[in-house]
Amino acid sequence: MGKIISESVQKEAAEVIVNSISSLEGVEAEVVERSSGTNPRNVIVANPSPDSWRALAEMLYSDHAIDYCSMITGIHWPERDDDRKWEVVYHLLRTGVRDPPSEDGVVQPIIVNPSTVRGFGTPVEVEVHVHLPDSRTPSIDSVQDIWVGADWNEKETWDLVGIDFDGHKGMRRVLLPHETPRGYHPLQKQHNLRYHGFEEMYDDSQGFMRKPDDVGKIK
Amino acid sequence: MAEMWISMGPQHPMTHGLWTLKVKVDGETVVDTEPDLGYIHRGVEKICESRDFTQITTYCDRLCYASANTWSHAYIYAAEDLLEVEVPERAEYIRLIAVEIQRIASHLMWLGAYGPDIGNLSIMVWCLREREMMMDLLQELGGSRMHYNFPRVGGVKRDLPYGFAQRARAKLKLFLNRIQEYEALYDESTIFLVRSQGVGYAKPEEMVNHGVSGPNLRAGGVNYDIRWAHPYSVYSELDWAPPVERSSIKGADCYDRYRVRVEEMRVSASLALQALDKIPGGADTHYEPEDPMILAKAPSRAPEGTSGAHHFEDSRGESMFYIAGGGEGRGKHPYRVSIRSPIFITIPFAAKCMIGYKVADIPAIMGSFDPCIGETDR
Amino acid sequence: MTSSDWLDIVGWTDSLTSWSMDNVHDLMPSEDIDLQVTIPSTWAWPDPFTVGPIFNLQDGFAGIQPALESFMHAMMMCTVVFGMMMTTMLVIPYIERKFIGRLMDRLGATTTLRSMWVGESGVTAGEWWNKLPFGVGGPIGWVIGVLNKTWGNSHELETVSRVNNRSYHGYWFLLPGFFQAFADFFKFATKEHIVPKDADKVVFEVAPVIILATTIMVFAFVPFGPHIYAANPELSLLFMMAIFGVAPLGVFFAGWASNNKYTLIGGMRSAAQLTAYEIPLLITVLGVAVLSGSFNIIEIVDFQIGQDEGNVWNIFLMPLGALLFLVTMIAEVERIPFDMPEAEAELVEGWWTEYGGIRWGLMFAAEYMRSYAACILFALFFLGGWEAPFQHTLADLPWVGSIVEFGLSLIPGVGWVLLKAWALFAVFVWIRASLHRVRTDQILEFGWRYLLPLSLLNLVFAIAIRLLFWDGGPWNLLLPIAITAISGGIFVILAIDEDKDALEIQRRPYSTQAVVKASPGSHRD
Repeated sequence: MGKIISESVQKEAAEVIVNSISSLEGVEAEVVERSSGTNPRNVIVANPSPDSWRALAEMLYSDHAIDYCSMITGIHWPERDDDRKWEVVYHLLRTGVRDPPSEDGVVQPIIVNPSTVRGFGTPVEVEVHVHLPDSRTPSIDSVQDIWVGADWNEKETWDLVGIDFDGHKGMRRVLLPHETPRGYHPLQKQHNLRYHGFEEMYDDSQGFMRKPDDVGKIK
Repeated sequence: MAEMWISMGPQHPMTHGLWTLKVKVDGETVVDTEPDLGYIHRGVEKICESRDFTQITTYCDRLCYASANTWSHAYIYAAEDLLEVEVPERAEYIRLIAVEIQRIASHLMWLGAYGPDIGNLSIMVWCLREREMMMDLLQELGGSRMHYNFPRVGGVKRDLPYGFAQRARAKLKLFLNRIQEYEALYDESTIFLVRSQGVGYAKPEEMVNHGVSGPNLRAGGVNYDIRWAHPYSVYSELDWAPPVERSSIKGADCYDRYRVRVEEMRVSASLALQALDKIPGGADTHYEPEDPMILAKAPSRAPEGTSGAHHFEDSRGESMFYIAGGGEGRGKHPYRVSIRSPIFITIPFAAKCMIGYKVADIPAIMGSFDPCIGETDR
Repeated sequence: MTSSDWLDIVGWTDSLTSWSMDNVHDLMPSEDIDLQVTIPSTWAWPDPFTVGPIFNLQDGFAGIQPALESFMHAMMMCTVVFGMMMTTMLVIPYIERKFIGRLMDRLGATTTLRSMWVGESGVTAGEWWNKLPFGVGGPIGWVIGVLNKTWGNSHELETVSRVNNRSYHGYWFLLPGFFQAFADFFKFATKEHIVPKDADKVVFEVAPVIILATTIMVFAFVPFGPHIYAANPELSLLFMMAIFGVAPLGVFFAGWASNNKYTLIGGMRSAAQLTAYEIPLLITVLGVAVLSGSFNIIEIVDFQIGQDEGNVWNIFLMPLGALLFLVTMIAEVERIPFDMPEAEAELVEGWWTEYGGIRWGLMFAAEYMRSYAACILFALFFLGGWEAPFQHTLADLPWVGSIVEFGLSLIPGVGWVLLKAWALFAVFVWIRASLHRVRTDQILEFGWRYLLPLSLLNLVFAIAIRLLFWDGGPWNLLLPIAITAISGGIFVILAIDEDKDALEIQRRPYSTQAVVKASPGSHRD
């Protein structure tokens, strides 16, 4: 029957990592069980302070072989407290991938048997939330030199959300046109789409179908 | 001849989508590249902030239009993580069938487009003919030929139609025989082998560091697949293994990426056939829509502070959705939807892979990474 | 001995011109017209002298008559040959479209047309005729019923299910698409002429002229039949190959003059490729000339046909040469697999990107003309030209022979030439539909490193055969049989798949297997 990673193995590996990174100053980490649909997954959720993010990233990369940066998300929370107005969420994975060895000039592919994977090569999922204080130009340390996959993710985050990355080389607009005005980052909450509210959401742009009771209602 | 910058795109037959690849050439050799994306940036992430969770599924279909089912399912799993819904098993089987047939259709589209890049025109028509079979099956499931809006939070929109199992089995078996024709046209052609081997090397560790996954990674000789590494759905119940290619010492070249996808089509067909055999309740029973066998009741609000994330094995790599709850309508809309597109990360890597090869290799290399710009630009 | 058949257009034109000019000559007045003037003596000169001409119109005309006759003859033959070439060339895009459609299994206009009454798996498109107003649907429905009975499908057959549509549609397949070539040409003729802003205007305009002119001039030397040719100098082969080789210059001009990086790359590639393949082509043709003993194309064909000359088609004497000719000609006319200079995937259209309208249309036609010329030349050099297969052998049969001989003599030689050329063009199309495009540096490597030595080998072989085995009469039949058998054997040995075990452990030259194979479904091994 099908072979997948055993859940307990992943949970163990996650706890090993959590114990290790909790020792870093400014980092709170825990193992959270998520279930999407039918299978539960154990995810490492870490909450470093902005200053300790870089140290955490380096530790994850060098000590725990977290080798894959999946996504970097920037979120703007204008209604939160002053020190949590911006959030950067990093999703990282450990894939356990190694270059396959070669014998006599012929490469021997590495076929991992998922049910027997243990220990250091176990795939784990890491979710890192970094809360940044309020600022017109929030910024956080870049990890472009650790994971090259973070490169374009960081460009996109700055382009759409406005969070800058210290030490990022070659920051530019990737999804918006190159000549977009400085300071325009559409995913910030002060920018609204045209049909953002209820009154304009349906095909009634001038509100002919509105009734007095509908004022201020969201559906 | 001096070095000069050529701009391939945005209007160009090669590019498989709307983007620009600026190439600096010295004679015929590529010296530097610079990809330029964002031509069809539609602001999907922003739009989703003002839509219900059910309404977002239609947007996710349109992210990568060649592989619509995989994207809507990727979103649905993340939404179910956010809303903490338990999905009935029959619905998971139906989703698996839809996703795997969609994977076949996506790979057929890629194979059919890869041929003309290299010069073979016949393969395009043959692959699209088989893709018509797959699209007919998906049309029976989802209602339309390309954007299906098939999954719902907690299950699927409707059950397998009457006679679907019989038609699907016939078509998949016919398809498995037809794959041999494509292989004959590609693998037994010395010209194709000479064009695609030794071109566009990429090593697995480098790929992983760059964020490349999926068939591109498996072409390098490692069998990493999200379906077993971060399991979801009912892949654990079926007998399958992700195809891996024995690459060359210098890494995976275009030929390996091509072979991995052909084998992946076979694996997907076998998965769909197995799922039809093993589906709880039988493939010939038909439940009405909203029957608890295929759709569980799901909350429609996600309070602030909750979030859901899911990694999904898309046709092109690892796609991921991160949804933060607590948006408008007291949580009926998500606060932030963040979409990870595998090709967004693969294109800069592929552009780096091209350096040192000839101009004529550009479509071969770029095509072998299977770009789809809809998901890149979102 | 020169071969001949009843379609003696050269002779007819010749006699027509000489007859008409003779009549003109006879009509001319034959008296001398004395226009002499006698200038009387003056103080400057003592004796009167006469100046002025004496015209005799008839004799004067007789003087220019040969030149006039040959001019008229040349004009008429050029028109006949050009017209014959253009008319028979209509078959070429037709073959290309239909054959490629069959190879690619395309469901085009034929099926669309047919689906109006047949539908899929017996279900027509919703009985659409009944929705028409004013009751017009009734007679249409009746017509459709009749069509379904004669050319429809029975429900059990499943020959028109959506995916299994590999069936041969029958003769319905042939008609649609015939007028496409005309429609295309008229469309091109009506389009705007756009010149890029910074293009070199003179060269930009001259380039298509060069390409087209040299291509059409090739046909001046190609004999369509024993008596259908525009010009037949003694060294017609040399002239023709020389003119054929000027077109690369036009291609390069076109690519360079368009002021566009893409076309420049395309033009460079084209110049390199065509130059590289000219040389093996010329050496192969030289081998043909050596084998047949002449540089005149008609004499080459006569040598293959003639009972007391060669009596063996050259393809059986030099199959390697025929193959080389085929490959180099495909490269010369820039068809797939050698169409890198105009590769759509990278260069959009390559060196002719910036040309629109009739200039592009004519250059596109020129490409087909060159393919056509290549096919006809192959038929002339290697397939015996205007001889029917086994013509003399069949004619020598006891009593069937005379019937056969009579029948074959009714068909003009041009018919055989065209049939062979069209069949060879179908081979070109077959190659185009199946093979991939070779990269430029691989094309060049192939041309210089493999084709050139092979063509030299072929030349040596031709010289050796001619010197050693030819004694002035027909070839000894054992020789072509032996050569063909040995060549066929070598080809079969080279084409057989290599040793699978060796591939497994080798350093990945050409074939790899996926390590984990999926099931079910048959895998290729």
